[in-house]
Amino acid sequence: MTQPLLADYFPILVFLAIAGGIALAMVGGSLLLARQKPDPEKLSAYECGFEPFDDTRRRFDVRFYLVAILFIIFDLEVAFLFPWAVALGDIGWFGFWSMMAFLGVLTIGFIYEWRKGALDWE
Amino acid sequence: MAWTLALPELVLALCGLAILLIGVLPKRDTFFPMAMAVTGSLLLAAVLVLGQQEGVALNGLYVADSFSSFMKVLALIGAALGLLLALDYNTRERLNRFEYPVLVLFATLGMMVMISANDLMSVYLGLELLSLPLYVMAAFDRDAGRSAEAGLKYFVLGALASGLLLYGASLVYGFAGTTNFDRLAAAFAAQEGVSPGVVVGLVFVMAGLAFKISAVPFHMWTPDVYEGAPTPVTAFFAAAPKVAALALLARVLLGPFADLAAQWQQVVVLISIASMLLGAFAAIGQRNLKRLMAYSSIGHVGYALMGLAVVSDVGLRGLIVYIAIYVFMNIGAFAVLVAMRRSGRAVEQVEDLAGLGRTDPAMALWMAVFMFSMAGIPPLAGFFGKLYVFLAAVQGGYWTLAVIGVLTSVVAAYYYLRIVKVMYFDQPPEAALERAPPSLSVVMATTGLFNLAFCLFPAPMLAAAGIAAAALLG
Amino acid sequence: MDGFLASPAGVLVITVAQTLALLVPVLIAVAYLTWAERKVLAAIQLRKGPNVVGPFGLLQPFADAIKMLMKETVIPSGANRLLFIMAPMLTFLLAMVAWAVIPVQDGWAIADINVGILYLFAISSLGVYGIIIAGWASNSKYAFLGALRSAAQMVSYEVSIGFVIVTVLLCVGSLNLTQIVRAQESVWFFIPLFPMFVIFFISALAETNRAPFDLPEGESELVAGFFVEYSSMSFALFFLGEYANMILMSALATILFLGGWLPPINAEPFTWIPGFVWFALKVALCLFVFIWARATFPRYRYDQLMRLGWKVFLPFSLFWLVLTAGVLKLTGWLPA
Repeated sequence: MTQPLLADYFPILVFLAIAGGIALAMVGGSLLLARQKPDPEKLSAYECGFEPFDDTRRRFDVRFYLVAILFIIFDLEVAFLFPWAVALGDIGWFGFWSMMAFLGVLTIGFIYEWRKGALDWE
Repeated sequence: MAWTLALPELVLALCGLAILLIGVLPKRDTFFPMAMAVTGSLLLAAVLVLGQQEGVALNGLYVADSFSSFMKVLALIGAALGLLLALDYNTRERLNRFEYPVLVLFATLGMMVMISANDLMSVYLGLELLSLPLYVMAAFDRDAGRSAEAGLKYFVLGALASGLLLYGASLVYGFAGTTNFDRLAAAFAAQEGVSPGVVVGLVFVMAGLAFKISAVPFHMWTPDVYEGAPTPVTAFFAAAPKVAALALLARVLLGPFADLAAQWQQVVVLISIASMLLGAFAAIGQRNLKRLMAYSSIGHVGYALMGLAVVSDVGLRGLIVYIAIYVFMNIGAFAVLVAMRRSGRAVEQVEDLAGLGRTDPAMALWMAVFMFSMAGIPPLAGFFGKLYVFLAAVQGGYWTLAVIGVLTSVVAAYYYLRIVKVMYFDQPPEAALERAPPSLSVVMATTGLFNLAFCLFPAPMLAAAGIAAAALLG
Repeated sequence: MDGFLASPAGVLVITVAQTLALLVPVLIAVAYLTWAERKVLAAIQLRKGPNVVGPFGLLQPFADAIKMLMKETVIPSGANRLLFIMAPMLTFLLAMVAWAVIPVQDGWAIADINVGILYLFAISSLGVYGIIIAGWASNSKYAFLGALRSAAQMVSYEVSIGFVIVTVLLCVGSLNLTQIVRAQESVWFFIPLFPMFVIFFISALAETNRAPFDLPEGESELVAGFFVEYSSMSFALFFLGEYANMILMSALATILFLGGWLPPINAEPFTWIPGFVWFALKVALCLFVFIWARATFPRYRYDQLMRLGWKVFLPFSLFWLVLTAGVLKLTGWLPA
């Protein structure tokens, strides 16, 4: 409690502990109270009444990767925008135009990927 | 605000963004007009560089002086010529996507930032801006397995090298307290002795840069990437980025770390010797011309580094002259490689050149000029390049270096002359090579004439190189 | 007594009490949100909804909870057991932990940290982990595809939410949630920033996987998506997490755009009602719109969903952000 900044975060730790406790109690309680009677049919993966006929761990559509990469780019942009937005009153027109230049470059990249069909999902 | 000092870079960046935007909007193929636009932008940037004032700008991140102007013009010429090589090839091989010239432009922008870097931060920024387009370009023929492999190999190893560089830079920052070159130089000049942390950091920085110029022992990627990438891309790799990386290495070592010369000199000497030896011996067994050129470029980097290893203004001038001549030899030789097609398909084996002296005397003549020049046979330009670095080594008393340089030149001459022998004395196969398209003939003739005429008019380049060297050593 | 309260143990006791004082109402609200949803949906469809267990079916949530508790926990034989158990707990945990910074009334935020909005943004971003882990650990194709779809959907709309939050921050000049509400004393932000409010609300629907963006669960095609293999309390934790996230997003909308605990008119009869009641009313209003949207709109197709996120919301929110920044800068209205 000596550092006021860290003290601010102390309740979050308590929240974490209590919420974790509740979650554990709920799952654990169910495990204790309910009758567990597993059998192979019940434990096999759901597949519309068929036996599951191959493994799930296989290739999937590359577009999910693309979305992930685009997300990282734009989420980083947001991360840069946060401090800029809060400090905009203090950093003057230079700060304003610096961010506009950055956003301009990103916008051109965005137009490029749009035209290239990276955002299409047919 | 002295940001107008960086006008060439800013204009080039804006041109790049505009070209990217204009190129992507129409549905049809815009490769040729966009390539022309990029060539124009590169020339515009070169003009702006020539008219550039000297000084430090952007909070000390950017420096412009005679050295940077010389190297930038060289890099811009190398990039423009490299792009010209791709015009015909990419159309024929269905690589005519407009992204290619845009990538060339951004890579060149990265080179310019590297050359003008006055801070470890801008070093890294420029290096990444150069590297990322290069990774994509290596894999540009993405449907071909070996091109994709080349791109991936280059990316993985390049990322490692970038990591090394960044790690070294952070060590230097941690031990010296600044990343600015001027302040680093002042700090090292003021203090007695150096902390080992700085030396370790410096070695890591050097390793990262040595990777970019493919000096031994960081050369492993070179043959595979050169062979796998489409030939015009290889030509581009072999010329302009080397200029930028060598310029950057010279600026880093002779600028902020000048007072640590005792520490880094041995390393540069070793790298230089190892590169010369490997370049000479490993190329002998190569049958693929692109692989052969890869080892040849490793050797040339070894000679160029000799100029840096002697730590003198004569040596630095030798390095500058060497790299300038190297660009013209290399682009010329690659123009011939790009032009090699038989029955509509690109070929790249040494035997494919057989009988070229009879079937296409002009192309054979230019190839012979480039090969003699690379071997360092007077009176061609390559001889003078070697002459100035060897002279610097002798004057500085580095006899071992000079002797090894001469011996490896003799060994290397074997495989250069073998190509000439194959062209003039071997029997041509049934189908002759196709005629070179006009764009390639122009490049061959221009660079060939440069190699021939250098002995007559060496003064302007020597003078310019002398001024550039003086600017860096100040 | 004062001495004990100032000691570390006393602080701990107070914090635990505060936490429970917030978490218990939230959990009860979650339970009754499930009841309210069924009632509202029923009313919209001219049915009665739950009306057997207790008066007006008011004990229904407890009946459901007990039923869930007594069910067998099935862990599929191909599953990664640890991850499989962890995923619903993580989802629930994150939905709960986010409440630590929510100011339900002036000065009532339990952790009044100076980067509150960043904290909320971070916690809501982490939500996607619970889903991905669940889909992966189940080792079932439906669960895996559902998780991938859900993750792609959530990250797509998170970008727009980020831009919306930044726009609000421009008008506030602070990352503290209490400050954000106080900045709305003259005018609630949903009036000047109305388009951003709409984008935020629709993105919140997508972020919580609610109709009309409930594709990850898409009963008809993915048989409930990423939690198809879950049963018993693990399933209940996902369920609770989803509804807690709905309340959380509503609370965020209230704080960012609807003036938090502030009364609509700062005058006599309105100011008698305490702030947290206003807060709860506004959250309830948002939640009603959530349910209303579910009852009204048919489900989106996946390509339409991605198009809306990337090609409509992203460019528009970016444009509006630049516009807001420019206007504030030109007029000099920026908070110092």
